[in-house]
Amino acid sequence: MTISPQRIDPALGRDPRTSRHGQKPDFLGFGLGLRAQHYADILDGDPPVDWFEIISENYMIPGGQPLRILDRIRERFPVVMHGVSLSIASTSPPDFGYLQMLKDLAQRVEPRWVSDHLCWTGVHGQNLHDLLPIPYTHEALDYVVNRVQLVQDYLGRALVLENASTYVQFRHQDMTEWEFLTELTRRSGCFLLLDINNVYVSAFNHGFDPHEFLEGIPTDRVVQFHMAGHSHMGTHIIDTHDHLVCDDVFDLYRAALKRFGAVSTMVERDDNIPPLDELLAEVQRTREIAAEILSADDRDRAS
Amino acid sequence: MSELERLQAEFQRSILGQNSAVLEHVMDGPREQRDVLFGVYKNGYASRLTEVLRKDHEYLHAYLGDEMFDQMSKLYIAEHPSQQPNLRWFSRELPDLLRTAPPFAEYPEIADLAALERDLNDCFDAPDAPVLAAADFAGIAAERWTDLRFVPHPSARRLDLLTNAADIWLALKSDEAPPDAVRLGSACRLLIWRQDVTPRFRELTDEEAMMWDEAARGLPFGVLCSMLAMHDDPDGAAGRAAGYLQQWVTTDLLAGLS
Repeated sequence: MTISPQRIDPALGRDPRTSRHGQKPDFLGFGLGLRAQHYADILDGDPPVDWFEIISENYMIPGGQPLRILDRIRERFPVVMHGVSLSIASTSPPDFGYLQMLKDLAQRVEPRWVSDHLCWTGVHGQNLHDLLPIPYTHEALDYVVNRVQLVQDYLGRALVLENASTYVQFRHQDMTEWEFLTELTRRSGCFLLLDINNVYVSAFNHGFDPHEFLEGIPTDRVVQFHMAGHSHMGTHIIDTHDHLVCDDVFDLYRAALKRFGAVSTMVERDDNIPPLDELLAEVQRTREIAAEILSADDRDRAS
Repeated sequence: MSELERLQAEFQRSILGQNSAVLEHVMDGPREQRDVLFGVYKNGYASRLTEVLRKDHEYLHAYLGDEMFDQMSKLYIAEHPSQQPNLRWFSRELPDLLRTAPPFAEYPEIADLAALERDLNDCFDAPDAPVLAAADFAGIAAERWTDLRFVPHPSARRLDLLTNAADIWLALKSDEAPPDAVRLGSACRLLIWRQDVTPRFRELTDEEAMMWDEAARGLPFGVLCSMLAMHDDPDGAAGRAAGYLQQWVTTDLLAGLS
């Protein structure tokens, strides 16, 4: 394949579809977050799911049943790893103990990619176990780019970073969230996981147009979508990931598919976990919407 | 110190309730005041950690009830802020706090319940290891037995309780009314381990507890038999030791011989 010169990213000096640690992962189809409540149904059945995403920290343990079950599931399904404690934007020194455990788990699981969130979880040795917001400043961008590169070098692979839902915006900001994400992915070589629900939540909470967010993200850097539910408080939305995906978020998903094309999509439920069939119905809905949007796009291109 | 460092330090202090200075750096939302929006982070912190404690200590929660459990959680979260990236380990110091902190320390069964649940949690995801089977002993020559040493399965751990917390836990697990808490005249000696994937515990006699503890320290079978002979009827010591050993093997408590 010939790569035309205009496709070379000057910051990376290479095809923008690749990073220093690898090429953009292939489309996996339609997946689901693996939860312990569904282990038996998955192992005893044949759920119509193309892949599973695990919460990395749930398996960063010495041994026992969770790891054994994970070994069995990955024999049958592709798996990706999704963490909540990388704290990539924390100004505390990197936790190399955590990074080593993450690397060890990745060696065992051989995930298609490893993701976490653009956020920090604590400083000064303390962990607040939340996805805390960062100011979208040049200073923060420089800092996070360096941290991402350090972590990618340590892990020996490109990271995939997710936009977190946020509830406050800082007074001093130099750019929008989507401009920050775009610069981050271009300069660090990381890829992006767009949580469509989180785009919707942050847009409502801060009063921006979620479509403007999507339009601002480069199409070649997004490897995954998350679909999830939330709790609407009237004046603001809390990202609880404990409800069905709402119609507004499915509408935004349609817009995302139109912009980004076929992107591996998964339904993420973190609390109030329903029976597996309920979540499989949501996975099926993402599959059907994608088929509808992507085939329409094909028709448009052909006509 | 960079601006980002300063901001994160203030954000954290405000979540922990030490001040609200970070509000100067954040904006009101289009439909809501900044203090309410920041409250999502502040309220989420305590509720998330309380939820972890409830999950890790299901029957302690049932024993204490919501109000007292939440009071305990508040104290624990303040005294033991999480320093681990993985929430799995957040609750580990709870039994230690409950042994010393009023009013919980006045009711020792509370700390005992927490200790039992901590050990059950710990053996659930303890390291894996192959387990010894009866066949592994088949070819061992008689003269080698006195020098045999046993390697406990990595999930196995001993816990001595000063109360009837084990009976309370079992009643709660069976959805029955727990017995009244009592302080025991002599310790309840528990052996806690994972058999296949299931955490288990059982109470040991003083003699079996002694033999297990010394075996786990690496004393050879011959010495263990001598200790049993000093503890009780010397003529039956070897037989009793063999009986204990057989039960350890059939319940997956041993991972190796040396």
